[in-house]
Parts: sequence; C-alpha cells; structure tokens
Amino acid sequence: MIELVRNIERPEDISAAARELRETVDAAEITPQSVLEVFEAWAAVLGERETIDIPGVQFLRMWLRRGTLEPIIVRELGHRALDGAWMEDGRARLKAFPLGVVGHWPAGNIEIQPMLSMTCALLGGNACLVRVPSGLDDLTRRIIAKLKQVDGKWVLTRRVRLLVFDHARRDLQEAMARAVDGAMVWGGAEAVLEVRGLPFPHWARLAVFGPRISVAAMDADSWCNVQERESWCRRIARDVWQFDQQACSSPQVLFLEKKPGHCCDEFVQTLKTAFEYENRLHPRLTIPAGLTSAICQARASWLLDDIAHRAVFSTGPDWTLLVGSGSEIPQPTQGKTLTVLEVDDLRQPLQKLDGNVQTLGLAMADPAREEELASLAASRGVDRIVKLGRMHVFAPPWDGVDLIRPMVRVVRHVPSTG
Amino acid sequence: MDELAHRIDQLLAIPPYGLTPEEQQSELLDLLKDELEYACARNARYRNYLQHWPTDIRSARRLADLPYLPVGLLKAQPPLSLVEPHEIKKTLTSSSTTGQVPSRIALDSPTSRRMTKGVVNITQDFIGSNRRPYLVVDVPASVAGGPEMGARGAAIQGLRPFASEVTYCLKPDGDGDLTLDRDKLLHFAEAQRKSVVLVYGFTYILWKYLVKPLRAENICLGMGDLHILHSGGWKLLQKEAVDKKTFNEGLARVFGCPADRVIDFYGMVENVGIIYPDCAEGNKHVPVYGDVIVRDPLTLQPVEEGQPGIVEVCSALPTSFPGHLLLTEDLAEIVTYDGCRCGRRGTCFRFMGRVEKAEVRGCGNIERTRQQSN
Repeated sequence: MIELVRNIERPEDISAAARELRETVDAAEITPQSVLEVFEAWAAVLGERETIDIPGVQFLRMWLRRGTLEPIIVRELGHRALDGAWMEDGRARLKAFPLGVVGHWPAGNIEIQPMLSMTCALLGGNACLVRVPSGLDDLTRRIIAKLKQVDGKWVLTRRVRLLVFDHARRDLQEAMARAVDGAMVWGGAEAVLEVRGLPFPHWARLAVFGPRISVAAMDADSWCNVQERESWCRRIARDVWQFDQQACSSPQVLFLEKKPGHCCDEFVQTLKTAFEYENRLHPRLTIPAGLTSAICQARASWLLDDIAHRAVFSTGPDWTLLVGSGSEIPQPTQGKTLTVLEVDDLRQPLQKLDGNVQTLGLAMADPAREEELASLAASRGVDRIVKLGRMHVFAPPWDGVDLIRPMVRVVRHVPSTG
Repeated sequence: MDELAHRIDQLLAIPPYGLTPEEQQSELLDLLKDELEYACARNARYRNYLQHWPTDIRSARRLADLPYLPVGLLKAQPPLSLVEPHEIKKTLTSSSTTGQVPSRIALDSPTSRRMTKGVVNITQDFIGSNRRPYLVVDVPASVAGGPEMGARGAAIQGLRPFASEVTYCLKPDGDGDLTLDRDKLLHFAEAQRKSVVLVYGFTYILWKYLVKPLRAENICLGMGDLHILHSGGWKLLQKEAVDKKTFNEGLARVFGCPADRVIDFYGMVENVGIIYPDCAEGNKHVPVYGDVIVRDPLTLQPVEEGQPGIVEVCSALPTSFPGHLLLTEDLAEIVTYDGCRCGRRGTCFRFMGRVEKAEVRGCGNIERTRQQSN
C-alpha cells in the first residue's frame, strides 16, 4: 500500500519519496487521456459526503472534468498530445515529455490549491511532490483519499506524494527543492521569495504565481439596467464569496461608471440583497480574529474618513459594502469587503492599474467599448479580463502563464532519414 | 451636557463592583445611548459612522447592541474629539510598539477629573483608601508636564491620589537607558520599612531595572507591608520566558513581602478611568461605570461564559472623545458574568493576548492566518 500523505521529519524522507517518483516516471509514460479517465472518476466521488462540503471542492470537480481539461490540453500541447502521440511540424515532429518530478508549493488560504497545482503537472505526465500547508493537512487527506478510492490501477497515486512539514524547516524545504525538476509556486511575496531562494537544480523550471488582487467594473448601461441588475449583483456576490475573497482572482473593488440622472443607491441595495442571499447559502464557518478586526476597522475607517462615504454591512463580520467615489484602488481588506466606487469614466481607474491586478471582471453593455477597455487593462498589466461571475474560472493562461506547458519539455525530432 | 455630567457623577458615586449585571446594564444602557447621541452632535465624522450602523441605536436593549469603534481609529490625526481645541487640557498617548502610531486621547477638564475618580474608586477597592508613601519604579520625566502624556505617565499619575509622598527610584544612565538609583531606593526602604507602602511600575521596567539587579546582588528590601501594582503587558517578559509566577515571586523576594501583594492590572489610555486589577482569584473585574463585552470573531455577538473572543471595553466616563465603546485588539475569555469567588459582582474575565493582524495576500501563503483560526 502506497502512503500518499507523509509527515516528514528528515530530509532523507523527502529524497526517498522523490526517488520513488522518479522511478515511476522513468518506468512508463502516461498519456493525458489516461490521466483524464482517473480525473473523471475522482470528480464523481468528490461529490460524496466526506468531501462535498470542503470549500472549493465543487470547483475542483468542475475542473477535473474532461470537458474542462481536454480543450486546455489541446490548446497548450496540441491535438495529438491527448493520446501521447507525436505531432508533425513541417519535416520535424514534436511531442511533450514530462520534466520529471515537479514540486508544488501551494498557498495556504485556498483549500483545493494543492490539488489544482498537482493536476496541472500530472496532465503533463509528471510525478508530484506536494508540500501541504499545515492548516490544509486534514482537508487534503480527505480529498486525496477519494483519489485512492477510484485509482485502482495506481495510475496517478503512484505519481503523487504529499508531504506535511513545518514551513519553517529550512532543511526540509531545501531537500524538496533539490529533489525536483520543476516547481509550481503559489503564494504571497514573502513566501514566493523564500521558495525561489531554495537550492533548485540548475535545470529546474519554476512557474511562480505571486500575490495579486482583482477588480470589477460595470459600465452605466449595465448597472442602470433594472432588468439585469439583480442577475449582475448575484454574479458579483458569487465572485466575492468564493475563497472568502482571499484569492488573487477575488474582486476587492467594483467601479461603476456614472450616468447622469442615475444614483447608485438602488444598485447598492440590490447588491446588499445579493450579499445577504449568498451569505445564507454559504455562511462562514470560521474566521481568524485578525480578519474580524480588520473588517471592523475598514468599516469605521471608511465612514470616519469622509462624511460623503457610505456603507452597508451586516451586524457580524459576514459582508461589507463600502460606497463612495474615486478611481484609486483602496487598500484591500478581504473577508467579503467590497468597495464600490463611482467614476466618471471607467478609463480613469483602468489607466492607473499596474501589474498588481490579475483579473478584471467586466459587465459592459457596449461590446466595442469592452474591447477598448480590455486592451487598456491588458496594457496596464492585467492578465485576465472576464465576465463578472466568472472571475475564478480556473482556465489558462493564469497570471498570463499556461498551466500545463511550463512543466513539460516539448521535444523536437527531425528524422535523419528523408 | 450638564445633565449628562450629573448622571455620570452619580454612577461614579456607586461602589465600583456593587451592582448585579442587570442593575449595571440598566444604569449604563440609557446613559451610553445619550452619550452616543451627544457625540454624534459634536463630531460629523463619528455621526457618519453611527448613522450607518446596521441596527437602530435607540432601540438597543443591551449594551452589546450599541455601536463600537475599533480602537485603532483613535490613532487618527487630528485626534477624534468632541470638544473645541481650546477645551483640551491634555492629550494622552498610548504605549505603542516601535514604528506604530500611538492612540491620541483628547481630555478636557471634566473627563480628566472623572478619569482620576474612576481609577481611584477601583484601586481603593483593592488596596484601601489611605494615603501612603508611593514608590514609583520609573523616572520623574515620565510624568513631566506638557500637553501630552504617555501611558506610563498616566498610570503613575492615576495612583497619585494614594500618595502621601512620591519617590522615583530610577534615573537616566546617560546612554538613553534607565538605571536603578540604589541609594535612593535603599534610603526609601530604610525610612519606610514599618510603613504601609504603594509601589508602581510598568511590568517590564520592574523586572529589568529593579528585580534583576537586586536579585543579582541578593538584596532584600525588607518591606513587608506594601502593595505592588504593575501594568503594561507581558510581551517583553514573555521573550525572556518570565511568567506571572516567576515575576511575582521575584518581586516578593526583593521586597520581602508575600507574592499575593503583587497586583497586575490591565489598562489602556483609550478606556479612560477604568483599570482592571487581578482579584485574588486571578480574574479582572468590570466596574459599574463600564463594561467588557467579549465578542465571538465569527458573529461579533457576546460569547458564553468560558468562551474566548475579541475584547470590547466600555466606559461611561469620557465626554471629550468618543471612547465609550471600543473594540480592542486584545483577546479575552469571559470567566463568569457574575459570581466570582472574590465577592465582586458583575463580569470577570482573563486576557489571552493580542489579536494577530490579518495580512492581505492574494493567493498568498496565509498559513499563519489559518492557524489562528484553528
């Protein structure tokens, strides 16, 4: 029986796990099709009671579906990659091969991120060493138990080792870095810099997904449209709720383009109703005291700062809408605290964006204007421009980077005969 | 305002731990509602905050339903004030960790007077009302005159009404640090050996500049009849692995008194007129002119007995700044809402440390944040 999740105390345990994985990768190729078969079965059993309530699991189930992943594989690696075949490229032929053992350093705030990160590398035929953030230990064990349940032939389970160790153990971090051929690193600035500084082999490839925030914007004809208002507000609430607004794709501010004769108060009331509805559907089960303090502080600070500022919030720390005007992105609070700012022209805030903004969620009635704004945002460092309500849809490129391709080598063979 | 002031003074005339929780709520609730209304009329920014509170203040049926201000907002510059600048007699500043902005509390004469009265009432309940020689383990500069006074100075001055004479036993050492004035201390000990004495110092100052040097020289001052009050928190001593028991025994040994004469009290300049000394059971008590509400971080509702949460402190005493209901950055556990074995009525609680700040990290490593919630 393979022990997938291991509590690690010694660097040698990491080297041993990596050695097992490398032997597996060297022993046999694995095609994306065979990975997808297991993923499909895994997605099905993740709907069972042991895992269904884990935050993000519904999202993970969607991600694991063939319908989601096949187009991504085709776009990143080409049609024939699904079956592990070579593709013609003029006189040459191309094929994606795994890097080997890929190390994953996921963030600790997104419950399913160890799994998401791992699946990207598995689709490239790699084996995975995953450092499980301490707080995610139990949830990750439950999710991976479901993989074991369906992977009777050990197609994927023999390619995965999840390591639990204290993030402060530099010796263990270093041992893991030395053992891999590639790494997917997710985290805050401090965490990312720390991992980048580890002694990776000189050939190792790193895909780094650093800390960023996201913003939402609506043109006047969208938010003033009474028929569509409720639907947009529900979408915004969903984007805010997922991952407790702590993901890099979570909107922290919503810009509303002003329209003469229209005041955003009614819109804010509809948004409030949508937030209340979403909160009833998905109430928080726990919250760090520091986040509660930060939310209370943000509410008071906003209203004391300027007597023109308005706010609507729940009696608990559940959700907060801070309302005002201006084109600057305020300091994010997270914890379902959305700042709603009226602007004369959406180009004003977008012109001020820098590389810190990952996703722009848009609701635009005018497609030509949307194209213009999308280009403006892209030129200011935004990597994803999507419809409101779809800000977290995990589709590559993510942070401007493909998800599978960075962890494969595309080998070119030019036949000597012919 | 005169009517409000009169009602506050009436509260101050009640023994600080003499009311049942129900009586205390009934005394405080209407008064605090009126004080909030008064504050709204005096400060437009504060009014904007309270007007957006999700529940109606007038219909509040318990103190926990009234709007609270996060204490960090008192760091605003200029200070949040309910009086005209010329009415401000003194500005208190909180102790703050290096690099942090301190709170700034504007005091007018009436608030300042009530602050003194409030602290005296509480302290009397613990050490009696007689004046006595007062040994301050600090330097006189801590209470130097001027428009601003720090937390150390405020604590020293707060106990001044119990002093028949004041002796400071530390002095500057020339390098910007403090040092023990041995001659002065030994002279004081010799002269007051048979007197009832009051000693006060910040917790880490007592340890670093008094206990450690005297213990190193094996000196015992031989002063058996005294009360040693200290405040300021344990953060610096925790770094030296000094716990409460070690601290109390260390002090008792150098003074030559029983360890139960050492009284730790929690106080914050923002919560004017109220300090929370430990009772013989090791609990902190709430006086009648204030309250402590411990709120569940998940709901912000008051916790059950035995449950931890974020501390909100209330005080009916200030009228010069909106410090009536303050959500602190401290964690505490409610021991009981009434019935401490020490005999004092009302809520008692124990501190559990500071709220760890949440950091905004995008898809970042929020491991530390998550661990807090476990």
